[in-house]
Amino acid sequence: MKKEEVLETLKVIAHDPFPYLRSKRETGKKIIGSPLADVPSEMVYAAGFLPVTILGTNQPIVKASAHLPDNACSLARSNLELVLNYQPDSFNGFVFPQVCDTTQHLSDIWKMTIPSQFFASFLIPRQVDRKSARHWFYAETGRLREQLEDFSGKKIPDDALRESFRLYNEDRRLLREVYRIKRNAPGAISNRRLFDVIRSSCFMDPKDHIPLLRDLLNALEGGRAGDGNVKIVISGIVVEPSQLFDILDELKVSVVGDDLIVGSRMIDYDVPDRDDPIEALTERHFAKSPFSPIRDVGTRLYDHLLQLTEETGADGIIYFHIKFCESQDYDLPDMKRIMRDRGIPMIVLDTEYQSVTRSQTKTRLEAFVESLYGERVNG
Amino acid sequence: MGETQPKMTAKEYSKQLTKEYYEGAKHAHEQGKYIAYTTAVSPAELFYAHDIIPIYPENHSVMIITRRMTAELSESVEQEGYTTHLCAYARSDLGFRKLHKSPIGGIPDPDFLLACNAQCFTLTKWFEVLSRRYNAPLFVFDTPQFIRDKRAREEIIKYVMEQIYEMIEALETLTGRKFNFDRLREVVEYSRQASVLYKTYLDLAAYKPSPISIFDALINMAITVYLRGTPQAVTFYKMLVNEVMENKVKKGIGAIPNEKYRLYWENLPIWFKFRDHFNLLASYGAVILTSLYAHSWSYDFDPSDPVRTLAENYASVFSNVELEERAEMALDLFNRYSLNGSIMFLNRSCKAVSFAVHELRDIITKKTGVPALVFESDMGDPRFYGESQIRTRIEAYLETLDQLSFERERGLIA
Repeated sequence: MKKEEVLETLKVIAHDPFPYLRSKRETGKKIIGSPLADVPSEMVYAAGFLPVTILGTNQPIVKASAHLPDNACSLARSNLELVLNYQPDSFNGFVFPQVCDTTQHLSDIWKMTIPSQFFASFLIPRQVDRKSARHWFYAETGRLREQLEDFSGKKIPDDALRESFRLYNEDRRLLREVYRIKRNAPGAISNRRLFDVIRSSCFMDPKDHIPLLRDLLNALEGGRAGDGNVKIVISGIVVEPSQLFDILDELKVSVVGDDLIVGSRMIDYDVPDRDDPIEALTERHFAKSPFSPIRDVGTRLYDHLLQLTEETGADGIIYFHIKFCESQDYDLPDMKRIMRDRGIPMIVLDTEYQSVTRSQTKTRLEAFVESLYGERVNG
Repeated sequence: MGETQPKMTAKEYSKQLTKEYYEGAKHAHEQGKYIAYTTAVSPAELFYAHDIIPIYPENHSVMIITRRMTAELSESVEQEGYTTHLCAYARSDLGFRKLHKSPIGGIPDPDFLLACNAQCFTLTKWFEVLSRRYNAPLFVFDTPQFIRDKRAREEIIKYVMEQIYEMIEALETLTGRKFNFDRLREVVEYSRQASVLYKTYLDLAAYKPSPISIFDALINMAITVYLRGTPQAVTFYKMLVNEVMENKVKKGIGAIPNEKYRLYWENLPIWFKFRDHFNLLASYGAVILTSLYAHSWSYDFDPSDPVRTLAENYASVFSNVELEERAEMALDLFNRYSLNGSIMFLNRSCKAVSFAVHELRDIITKKTGVPALVFESDMGDPRFYGESQIRTRIEAYLETLDQLSFERERGLIA
């Protein structure tokens, strides 16, 4: 496939995966959905199911308000809305992670309002720096394996897990390659296209996704080099709606790094090769970069972002705050102070799945980007 | 125990204990003692067993709220980005640290912080801010949702027990002293006794008329929150139960005259309004008797295996179980206290207790056949309290209950 054709295919799936998922269901595949974050897709896949990350909807909230108050974060509300209203029949079951108060309640509400053949809680540790966290993750991943086996009616052989690791690792490797090209030659692929490609991996069987990525990489090889744009690191959990990336493209900003959950944190960490596959998944989990709701070591939440900014030579940081995400709210005042002290320009955008105040966002970003160009000239 | 009880009322004793507790905390550092901040639901027994003073910033925030200082303190940190939809306890606390205003002259800085997320996740983030500010270690005591799956529960208890040992190690590192498990057993035994007596006290609400209302329970809850694990807490609840038995139950005196509606309250109270609510309800012959929140400290400890019992009790509080089980806990109170109405408060401050309130209402109204009032406000921030609107809704609800009982008396409905 040609570059534009591949990109278009991936973009379509990134924003409406449901026709693709239907086609999979027609072949007898069961679809298992999971909200963010850290459910080991490799395990679900090895059980013979298609793991899908549920990434909410940008369509209006109609039914979710009756179940989840208006001050619940935009991500939780749009996840519930998606499955309650827009795609009630797209999933056979769910593996549901809990990371904060909202996801814990969402899990309870989900069980009561959304009929499914299978529901497994995946209770990830909300701390990472003690031995107990590793023991717990190992136990919980083992429990997930058994639940999936009960649902499918057959054991998950270790070899199936290893094959799944191999496929997902390959998919991630190719995604990192696309990202690397973007970093070195920002003109080769737009910000929007890059993140559409990453997003598409949340929905696709790696066996379908890998060939598309290979085609894309072949087409990108001859990509243009640096474009003189300002270089930005983007920070947060998700960037929603995706039109925000279009604005970045319009403003000639090049994303050179990110700490997003639907971004680098999803593609940077491969499952290592170990005798015990559950141990391998555990090791991968604890290698990951920080995630706001999970208590990390000391100030690693900020240190990681600082390091990323330094390594990529970024001119500044754009932080995407999900409306009513209290975890991010608690992080931000100190984060702003730290960046100010270090002289790293940062702007915080409050975002909501259902709306983008385009002109206002663009004006604010424009002023921010101009100030970065100014710094370049003066600096 | 054969210790003598002080010659004063339970109320006076509670005041004295509170004063001594905060005085002790204030001078802790001078005396070479350590201060640990901890969450209201947390294995504070570990601190008492290791001679560390647990301080509850939430409790201090309640004092800030009831003295109506929250709006001012909160505004001072809203400018920094701690937005109004965050917990009013956290905003009150962060404001206190900025403006140094407090109804009790403040609380000492922490040497250590413990956040147990069985209660909520918010505290972890709030304490993370404090941990950075004071450069003090934060220990997240992680209690995965206590789901109804036998295998999961066994694993959760194992995980939580392992963390208790990790916590003990952390305390030994902090103080340079060896942890004493015999002392822990003793402290857990005091906690057990205080919890049993506290529960006995709450259960006095089963009498008709009920000698206590939720407002009494909320006031008298403070001692078990911050002094469980001490002999003083045991003495206090003994005195309290005896007093209520002698002065009220035996004489048939209720918390309100002409008790007609015995209500359940869902969520934390609206701290700055609870006297108004009591009076408004009483004028309709209604009284709120209990809530799962007040029962958060009705633990059932077994001191013979202190580490396991702490793990089991703190992992299984109402805010950490699945919604169906939480509804069962509430329905158990409905049955035991013969309740005939419920007010369910959707608390903007407390996502951890509020977010599934609609589902909870559905279960409870279905099982009891009694309508419930759901209204939204904030437990601590008067700027989110619509005085006339909430009053009107409470009145309308009580009139509905009146209408229902009128129809029931005349056999118009079952």
